[in-house]
Amino acid sequence: MPYYRCVVPEGSVAYEQRAAVAKAFTDIHCGNTGAPRSFVHVVFDEADDSWETPYFLDGGNRAGRSEEVRAELLDDLMGAFREITGVSSDDFSGRITEGPAKWTMEGGMVLPEPGEETEEWYSHGQAAAGG
Amino acid sequence: MSRVSFNCTMQEGQIDEPTRATLAAGLQQITQDVLGESPDDVPVTFSDIPSGFGFRGGEPSTTSLVRGSIVGGVTQDVREDLMRRICDMWMEISGCTVDDLVVSARDV
Repeated sequence: MPYYRCVVPEGSVAYEQRAAVAKAFTDIHCGNTGAPRSFVHVVFDEADDSWETPYFLDGGNRAGRSEEVRAELLDDLMGAFREITGVSSDDFSGRITEGPAKWTMEGGMVLPEPGEETEEWYSHGQAAAGG
Repeated sequence: MSRVSFNCTMQEGQIDEPTRATLAAGLQQITQDVLGESPDDVPVTFSDIPSGFGFRGGEPSTTSLVRGSIVGGVTQDVREDLMRRICDMWMEISGCTVDDLVVSARDV
């Protein structure tokens, strides 16, 4: 976690754009939350899902952050996606749902709740990223 | 309806079909050992993320995700036991490292 799934129409977003969005999402998420970069997952799905817009951001994060942080995060992510892909606001919507951190194990460690991250966890995240 | 199910998502070309069958059997065996569920009642599905469509840390991803759903929920001790066994089994069978695996077990 976090896990950001970008639902896009088939063939609509080139690899270079996908890579740029993934990097931007990682920068934004880590800048907003302080999470290690290696924990940020971004996936593009050319699925024929039934969302209200052709492009949709379906994000999943650890629960426990303030409403303000969550809203700013979603706004920043959606802004970056629009800027990189050129998709209009009318064609793009999104949400971030949350679940308890303790339901997930990543890198062999149960995820800590936001605000309860330890030095060991940060160190492991940096090691996983090769940094 | 099954009480426990798993959806496994991996990067395209990372794990072949015979290995997937072994991983599925491993998930079912662990679920039986930890939660007492019959292996026949534990559906396991696999899906691939096409090359160039999955990223981690802003770079192409090599990570597999194993998502478990448990109807009715379990205690955290049981959940951690389940997730840890899955991690160990997955690494042994697939040969991946612990950093290339995310396991979740959510209550539904």
